[in-house]
Amino acid sequence: MQGVLGAFNEIDAAVHAIEDLKKDRFGDITVFTPTPRHEFEHVMKHPPSKVRIVTLIFGLCGVTFGYWIPVWISDYWPIIVGGKAVAAWVPFTILGFEVMVLIGGLATVFAMFAMAHIPRLTTTVGYDARFSGGQFGVWVVTDPDRADQAMTVLKQHGAAEVRRER
Amino acid sequence: MTQDTTTSGVKRREFLKVLGASSAAIAAVGCSEPTGKLIPYLVSPDETVPGVSTYYATTCRECSAACGMIAETRDGRAIKLEGNPEHPLNHGALCARGQSALQGLYNPDRLRVPMVNEGGTWKPITWDDAVARLAQALGGARGKGGVFINQHESGSFPRFLDGWLAGYGFEPHLSVDFEADSAAIEANRRTYGVAWPALSFSDAKLIISFGADFLDGWGASVPQQLDFADARAKLDGAPRFVYVGPRRSLTGLNADEWIACKPGSELAIANAFAGKGSIQQAATESGVDAAQLQRIASEIGASKPVLALSGVGGADALEVALAVAAINQAGGAVGATIKPAQAITSFDGMTTTAELLGQVERMRAGQVGIAFVRGTDPAHYLPRAIKFAEAFAKVPVRVSFSSYPDETTELCNLVIPDLHALESWGDAAPIRGTISLQQPAMDPVYPTIKGGTADFLIAVAKKDAALASRYSVDSYRTWLIAAFPGGAPALATALPHGIANGSMGGAAAAAARPAAPATITVQPKGTGEGDFFLITYPSPLLGAGRGANKPWLQELPDPVTKICWSSWVEIHPETAERLGIDRGDFLDVKTSNGTIRAPAFPYLGVHKDAIAIPSGQGHRSQAKLAPFEPKHHDASQVQWGYGRYARDVGVNVFDVLPASTNAAGGFAWTVTKASISKTGDNRILPSTEGSARQHGRGIAQAMNASDLTNPPRPEEKEVLPGDASHEFLPGLRSPVAADAQGELGAPTAQDQGTHKGLYDPNDPRGMTRRRWAMTIDLARCTGCSACVTACYAENNIPTVGAYWQVASIWAESRPGLNIERGREMNWIRLERYFEGNLDGKFGVDFETRFVPMLCQHCGNAPCEPVCPVYATYHSPDGLNVQVYNRCVGTRYCSNNCPYKVRYFNWFGYGEADRKQYAFPEPLNWQLNPDVTVRGKGVMEKCSFCVQRIREAENRAALEHRDLVPNEFTTACAQACPSRAITWGDAADPNWTVAQLAHDRRAYHVFEELNTYTAVVYLKKVNHPAAGAPAPRA
Amino acid sequence: MAATATPLRDGERPNIASAAVRFPAVRDYDQVDREIGGTLGPSLGWFAALGIAILCMLVGASAWVYQIREGLGVAGFQPPVMWAVYITTFVFWVGIGHAGTLISAILYLFRAGFRTSIYRVSEAMTVFAVMTAGLFPILHLGRPWKFFYLIPYPNWRLIWPNPKSPLVWDVFAILTYLTISSTFLYVGLIPDIAILRDREKNPIRKAIYAQLALGWRNSDREWRHFTRAYLFLAAFATPLVLSVHSVVSFDFAMALTPGWHATIFPPYFVAGAIFSGIGMVFTIVIPLRKFFHLEHYITLNDLDAAAKLCLFTSTVVGLAYVTEFQIAWMSGNRFEIDYFWNRVFGQWAWAAWIMLICNCVLPLSLWSQKLRRNPTWLFMLSLTINLGMWFERFVIIVPSLAHEFEPWQWGTYRPTFIDYSILLGSFGWFFMWFLLFIRQLPVMAMSEIKEIIPPRMRFAHAGLEHDLTEGTVYPDDTGAPH
Repeated sequence: MQGVLGAFNEIDAAVHAIEDLKKDRFGDITVFTPTPRHEFEHVMKHPPSKVRIVTLIFGLCGVTFGYWIPVWISDYWPIIVGGKAVAAWVPFTILGFEVMVLIGGLATVFAMFAMAHIPRLTTTVGYDARFSGGQFGVWVVTDPDRADQAMTVLKQHGAAEVRRER
Repeated sequence: MTQDTTTSGVKRREFLKVLGASSAAIAAVGCSEPTGKLIPYLVSPDETVPGVSTYYATTCRECSAACGMIAETRDGRAIKLEGNPEHPLNHGALCARGQSALQGLYNPDRLRVPMVNEGGTWKPITWDDAVARLAQALGGARGKGGVFINQHESGSFPRFLDGWLAGYGFEPHLSVDFEADSAAIEANRRTYGVAWPALSFSDAKLIISFGADFLDGWGASVPQQLDFADARAKLDGAPRFVYVGPRRSLTGLNADEWIACKPGSELAIANAFAGKGSIQQAATESGVDAAQLQRIASEIGASKPVLALSGVGGADALEVALAVAAINQAGGAVGATIKPAQAITSFDGMTTTAELLGQVERMRAGQVGIAFVRGTDPAHYLPRAIKFAEAFAKVPVRVSFSSYPDETTELCNLVIPDLHALESWGDAAPIRGTISLQQPAMDPVYPTIKGGTADFLIAVAKKDAALASRYSVDSYRTWLIAAFPGGAPALATALPHGIANGSMGGAAAAAARPAAPATITVQPKGTGEGDFFLITYPSPLLGAGRGANKPWLQELPDPVTKICWSSWVEIHPETAERLGIDRGDFLDVKTSNGTIRAPAFPYLGVHKDAIAIPSGQGHRSQAKLAPFEPKHHDASQVQWGYGRYARDVGVNVFDVLPASTNAAGGFAWTVTKASISKTGDNRILPSTEGSARQHGRGIAQAMNASDLTNPPRPEEKEVLPGDASHEFLPGLRSPVAADAQGELGAPTAQDQGTHKGLYDPNDPRGMTRRRWAMTIDLARCTGCSACVTACYAENNIPTVGAYWQVASIWAESRPGLNIERGREMNWIRLERYFEGNLDGKFGVDFETRFVPMLCQHCGNAPCEPVCPVYATYHSPDGLNVQVYNRCVGTRYCSNNCPYKVRYFNWFGYGEADRKQYAFPEPLNWQLNPDVTVRGKGVMEKCSFCVQRIREAENRAALEHRDLVPNEFTTACAQACPSRAITWGDAADPNWTVAQLAHDRRAYHVFEELNTYTAVVYLKKVNHPAAGAPAPRA
Repeated sequence: MAATATPLRDGERPNIASAAVRFPAVRDYDQVDREIGGTLGPSLGWFAALGIAILCMLVGASAWVYQIREGLGVAGFQPPVMWAVYITTFVFWVGIGHAGTLISAILYLFRAGFRTSIYRVSEAMTVFAVMTAGLFPILHLGRPWKFFYLIPYPNWRLIWPNPKSPLVWDVFAILTYLTISSTFLYVGLIPDIAILRDREKNPIRKAIYAQLALGWRNSDREWRHFTRAYLFLAAFATPLVLSVHSVVSFDFAMALTPGWHATIFPPYFVAGAIFSGIGMVFTIVIPLRKFFHLEHYITLNDLDAAAKLCLFTSTVVGLAYVTEFQIAWMSGNRFEIDYFWNRVFGQWAWAAWIMLICNCVLPLSLWSQKLRRNPTWLFMLSLTINLGMWFERFVIIVPSLAHEFEPWQWGTYRPTFIDYSILLGSFGWFFMWFLLFIRQLPVMAMSEIKEIIPPRMRFAHAGLEHDLTEGTVYPDDTGAPH
């Protein structure tokens, strides 16, 4: 994978650079930002994250399982304690809830990992240490012949540094 | 079945060793770590099936009364003692002391070999060497005078002994029972011609006791208690009971009215009641309101027959006893409530204390060449003023036949350990015309002991040319068989019953003993300086001291004060307040004879001008021994001072008593005055008592007899005492309370197998039909606590009070520390609540209620749902079950138990390798193989003797029959000498308990908590004096 | 550095959530990295503190070993007081563990501004507090080596725990809470670890950070899913916080014991937990901001806001106390009345009064803004709150058990040195982990602080105004001016 990487000190510059790159039909653009900024969300126009669906599904599975455990346990040895019903639904709600939170929560995190493609083994290509610090990065995946065009766009928007990577 | 016990050639002691080793494995099951294998017999001896009990009828020797016992043996070891139902004296009941005989048998400090004291050091010798030494010594002592001090026994051993002594030219032995009331015996002799007529409480209209503690050990207490309970169980027809005395003993606490007279003033009162003196004078002398005395006097006149008893401790005991006899004669008692015809002969031929003291003086005068002592400990109970040790030392040859390293034995120079009563042959004559048989229940624990005292004496006599001819028999057993009417065959048929008619020949010939130098002055009452009368009394549990080496008796709280592992000074709260004395303040009690130090116990039931101290504790040793250390203890080291459990516990009250006797020669207990002073240090008493008041919580409920007869007016129905609320019946009708069934509600559901339960559907015995339950009749219960000891014996409950049963590092260590911390393990406990006289004023009467409290086996048990691991749950037959191996010890169940009847193993009491181990070898031989010994960190509680239930069910199943109603019962119910506890299946109307549960006196403790308990209490019934209603609750 | 805070004068009420007010002394992203990153790495004082913590921990550990060997009897238990210092401390630490998730999750949902600077610390505190609390249910067992009996896992014995027992609910609740709160902490940490990874020179530390950062690159895709997932995690953690301490309160509320058997326990315990948690946050944060010179991040405004929360929960707790007494009084139930009388006038009156004064009286001082903005006072107050809340649990547990239905079994309780050692050990254990944390990982969420700091602009206020005002809507609606 090869492309052009531009580093910006100013957020507005980065935003405008992306806008122009999109005008020039540069498809695969990635922004590196030290902190989530809505400016980029607006300009990138990504669809909302799918994580929530995973959360919903696994939350429901969790609560079902959480109810099933105690009911099954109680019925395995139908022992009478303190004159309570063998499968007592009301107190089992507690277990249902806890297991829902456990499974739903963990599922959410793993879904996030999966969708954000982490853990990833390498960060070298198209990344610069400064992007976690103070600078915004724009990484354009492009074939060598259009690389110069991308570089000029980035430069003219005042990128602090622009370089080709492969 | 019986002769084999000793003659069958099988060496049972071999496998006893094996089992001794494996018992550690039994003990370890509870803690689930180490497990081991029981090694089976190589050759099984006759009539011994592994795992199946054999029962031997024998006789209890713990006191003079000689009750009949059944010894249950398992694999050759006695594991439980129960009363012999066929026995005419105790009819199957047995007191705490009797049951503790097992811990005398298996006492870890029993002497195992004959020993000789040479130059101050003890040297073990062989049996034959001991025989030789004694024979030689006897040769030297002939004619120099010999004294044999023996514990009092009825039966033929005294005769045998006197015969043996006579052979050497010695006078007859002294037959000593220090606790016996010689004055009463003497008075009985003079009045009725017998030492102890049968007393019938149930025939009396009025019982009046002048300090006669017939429930604490005065006389033959078990039969007396049985009869007294039956009398009280007549409810509205029951006799009223008035107690006269300066201290309210257990007997006094069972009285309806207490006449708190000054010590020593009983005589005046008795005379007044007998019409020989004026009420007015009695009132002034005793400090009791004249009107009250007048009322009682007229009551005596009105209610015939009366039963008046005298057991005062003063020096005028005989006079009082005679005056009381007069009351009886006037009150038509003779023949009605006092039956000389059926005399109790247990006390015949008893030596008085005066005689004993006389012999001591002979020793001091150097007129005694050889002295023997057996089964009694004068060095402990003779007042220090006597200087017994000094006098005893003047005797050149001092022989002890004691099994225990007691104070007297320590003074001897030759010790030949006796066999325990459960290991040896003998007989007793409890009732005129009957023979109570004593047979070995097992082979000797220590094979090094080759025979009992009698066998030893025979062996010695054989060495003597002159006597050998008279002792042709090989052992005492053959001697007995010869003496038994009908000989061997008759004996063989009688032994299974433990009782026979007839007599073993003439009673001990009371040959004249040389008169003692008269040095004993009969002291007038209340001598000595000090502002308090010092009341001393034999402890109902430890007696004059012989019970002190048995952990069960040490751990069993005193029925009155609820203190264990300690001595105490009872003082009236009013006096205590005046002197600024708090509970647990250590007091110096000073008399003209010395000073002792003990903690104070403010007690409503003692006269405000008196203090009371029990006897029994304060055993000590001449040799200064290091404190007992279980980890580095070698068994050969003798624990002088009466053993590890008794030594240095509490104080010996005899240190401060003068040596004075009453006119009958009996020891005068309450004769001196004492002064008390605070020492400044205070200690939490090792007591199981939390609050002595119910705070209106209705745990122990009572009613007046009149309420039973007068029908209640409807509007006060709710508050009417004795009207059984039947709210709880659902809990008893169905196997498990109907709403406790949950989804298994329909009793048929399980039988149809619609639910697979732990037991159903393939439970052959249909457990789900049953609901085990218990009723406890508080009108019968006297608070004697025999049930508690029975439970300890049956369920392997550890005792935790010994001073080394504490943490290892930086831990304070003193007797009863764990009790101070409330860590006692009594599955059933006797609660003692006071009613009335809230502000503790003297002269205001108060009522006492005893409540045996044990696991209530609730239908809706609060302890069950909170257990995270199902370690406690409800069995189909209504038991609240505790699974030790499953328990992880969260102790949540105990927090949630309203009755607080769950007990936790704070230490490894059941683990043999631990400092806190409660069953040091060979005490562990007594452990019941049917019951797990719990390890550390698990909760335990009353199981309704589930092992007995399952055994009975299995037996019934094997015999293809159903359980017969009342065919078995729990250990506590079996032992109860008041028959207050009834146990059985409440779901089956044929069991007694099912009927009693519907009694109108029935109630449940904390019924409002909807626990549907399986234990039903029947209200106590009070008989208040006219115009003095007893408090209700 | 109190000067950095803008004192509020009459008339002037700036939005304390705005960057200008909250971080007036923080100019740009690099400064954040520099200053917060600068708190890392060991120091002499830190080693000393860590040493002390580990020492205390070892004292507790050895006491526990001794207790396991000898049996629970070495502790001061006196039946009927079957639960005492151990369960008290357990509830105490669970309570502490609640502020963290409350601040990081609930305040996140509520967009409370003062959350940003303190939530990382309190989250760490939560995790370590729950780790500490989790020891006690095992530690107080009679047979701790059998603790796994409580865990429902398929086993050859074919036996299972009792799902009706509140203690089993505890197992579920505590384990869930520990898992979720530590996940929450770690997920929040990932971007910051990435920052450290990129700044780190030392190759070993760099390698470790690189592993922990999971290759985080701050790409827009990552941020998109990250923010979403974080939101849902917060949404899960919020009811969890409430449920966990409710479940802990069930340990008592489900029992018959007078003084325990009360329906108000769940809300009462949750409020108490948050109260004690905030207290512990103060205890930790105030020295922290001083030693790390972070006064311009954790500003007086933040403390002020937290103090208000503290005051609120204190009044809730106070109300709960009053309600308990009122219910006992109105119930006419002899057992309840006796017990509550005994609570305030009985043998443990002193403990009850410590509780009342520390939890209800002293916090009232927070009505004064001066004291709310006085770190020293807040610190001292927080210590008394911790004390008071420990005693609250003690007063609930011990006197109740000692004064139950059965007067014959009324008792008392005398702790031994084992109880004290284990209590000390729990603090050692907690602070050991906490100290290890603060020098290895950032005590503040750098990337979240950056959200609030206005980014650098090429054409400040010119041309692009329109795009950016719309674009510059901060996730927590601080409406910072630019």
